[in-house]
This record gives sequence, structure tokens and C-alpha cells, in this order.
Amino acid sequence: MNSPAESILDRPFVPAPAVRAAGRVSRLAMLCAVLAAASAGPALSLPMASQGGFMTMADLNSSGERDLAMNYAFTGRDAFGVMAARWHEPVLHAGVHRRHAEREAAGLTYTRLVHRWNLPHAQANLWFVGSAGRARGEQGFQAQGFWSPAVMADYETTRVYLGAGWEPKRGSSLRHDVGWLRAGFSFYEVDYEQVQPWFIVEAKRTRSLGASSDLVTPLLRFIHRGLFVELGRNREGTQFNLMWAY
Amino acid sequence: MTSIARSFVSGARLARSFAVIAALSLGSVAALAQSATPSSLKLQVNGMVCAFCAQGIEKRLKAMPETGELFIDLRNKVVAVEPRPGQALDAKRVASEVREAGYDVVASQTVAQSVAQIRAEVRAGRAER
Repeated sequence: MNSPAESILDRPFVPAPAVRAAGRVSRLAMLCAVLAAASAGPALSLPMASQGGFMTMADLNSSGERDLAMNYAFTGRDAFGVMAARWHEPVLHAGVHRRHAEREAAGLTYTRLVHRWNLPHAQANLWFVGSAGRARGEQGFQAQGFWSPAVMADYETTRVYLGAGWEPKRGSSLRHDVGWLRAGFSFYEVDYEQVQPWFIVEAKRTRSLGASSDLVTPLLRFIHRGLFVELGRNREGTQFNLMWAY
Repeated sequence: MTSIARSFVSGARLARSFAVIAALSLGSVAALAQSATPSSLKLQVNGMVCAFCAQGIEKRLKAMPETGELFIDLRNKVVAVEPRPGQALDAKRVASEVREAGYDVVASQTVAQSVAQIRAEVRAGRAER
């Protein structure tokens, strides 16, 4: 007869019923979380154009995930838009990530510049980026509504960039959080008409009911007037981000 | 009237005509000189730290019918704009457009320089450093 300690270690880990239920829900939560992350767009100082302008955003990676968004600034502080995303949702099996399932989502976005500080040599911003819509996916995933109230903050000068964001995902049975930090610098100052290169590092934590993952991505950023391009590489592949204000 | 007297009168009339023509010409030259004097509006702007941010300023100012050449100096946080020929710039309206773009105008002044001269001066100063 095994000792209690040996029997515990020998048995496969089986989550308690509440955790199993949470695990089933967590797939939807993670789906909505990624959806929210997609709808929030890349972590940038300006997720919207100036009044009367459009902003188009695209995040692509080599594993096939896609985030697309477009918004229109109808005031200097408010923008409405749409988003669509496709990503690979980690699927929990016995409490362990075993595989990924593809998810797709589409919805509406609302971006609000909560406050801006215009300093002599810097600018800081506080943003709210909300989204809501529908998501669907494979492997038995039921189509479901979602909503996401995300917040972002940034501080930048002509040479330094700092940014942070928190994107909680909630729904009828969803709970998923994404937090990120970004820091970087520009190699040199440029004239307005010139291309400015930056080096940025992003640290992102994704947390759902049953899983947590961290990802660090170094990026090269290039800015030319209303065009913003980032190229990066992490353990999941190559990352490409684009923003275009017009 | 003797021939000599007639000559004097003709000469006087001719001289008067020349004087009028000369006065008109000088006046035209003066007017041309006035219109050729460059003039630009320079604004000191807080929060203008990158081109992606400042392109909103460019868009709004270029949409104004009276604005001509425009120069955005990110390093010194200056926006310089000159009027189109025959137009005049309203400093308060220009500053309002910059504020509507999301930035703070802390000072403005009219200078007797064109935007091209301001740009050249800034770049020359940068090269010296």
C-alpha cells in the first residue's frame, strides 16, 4: 500500500471541479483577452489620429495571428472604430497547455484620450480603449459576446519612450488579463521630414483562469510622419506592427 | 510767345511729366519692396515630441487657406508658418488650430523671415554644434 505522499505524486493532476469549469471558461476568456488585446491595437502613444483623421493598425506575426483595426477621430479626444482578429488560443488539458486552437473575433472599438500632459520637452498620455463584439473558434468553442475596458499610459520625449497597459477581458463566462510594459530609445533626433529609428523592448504577461505566460519582444521601430512601423522577434516568431494616421 | 519761352514751357511740362513718372515708379518699387519682405509666424509648442504626433499639426495648418510654407522643428519645439502671397495670418487662429490638434502653444511671434530662412537658420545652427 502506497504512502499518502507517494500516492499523491503518482496520480495524474486532476483539477478540482471549480478549476475544471474555470479551465473550460478560460478558453473563452483567453479568446476574449486576445480579442481585447487585438482591439486595443499595438501599445503606442497615439492609438488614434487627430480630429477628423483615420488610424489604421495591423499586427501580424509569423505564426499566423492577425490583428486589424481602424478608427476615426470625430473629436480630438474620441475615436470610434472596428476591429478583427485571429489568434491561437492555448487549450488547457489537465491543467497543462497541450495545443492551440484558432480563434476569430470582430467588434467595435471606442478610444478616449482621458488626459494629456504637454510638457516643454515631453508628452504623457492616459488612454481608455474599449471594445466589444463576437468571437468564434474551433474545437467546440461556442460563439460568444465579449467586452474589454483597457487602459494605457505613455510618456515620451524625442529620445525616450515608456508605455504600459492593462487589458482585462470580461464576458458572461470570461476572465482574462493582459498586461504589458514597453521601454525604448531613439538612436538620434531627426528633422520632422526624416525617418526616425527606435529600439523598443516589450514585456507582456497574459493571464487567464488556468494559465499565465510571459513574452519579451525586442523591436525596431521606424516613424515617418504619419507612418509607424515596428519589426520584432520573440520565441513565438517574427512580429510586425503598423500604424498609419491620415 | 517767343520760341525761347515756348521751349521753356515745353521743357517744364516735360520735366513735370518726368517727375510724375518717376514718382509713380518709385512708389511701385516701394510697394514691391514691402510685399517682398518675408514674414512668418513662429509658435513655441509644448508636447511636440515625434513626427507621428506632430503630423496632426501639419494637417490642420495646411487645411487653412491662408497658410503657405510650414516648418516643424521637433528639437526646438517650434512651428513656423508663412502666409500665402497676398494673404495674412491670424496668429490667434493658427494657435487655436495647434491647440485643437492636441498641443499647447506657450508663445507666438511674427518674425521678418520666410520659413525657408528659418529652416536654413536652424539647420546651420545645428551644423555648427
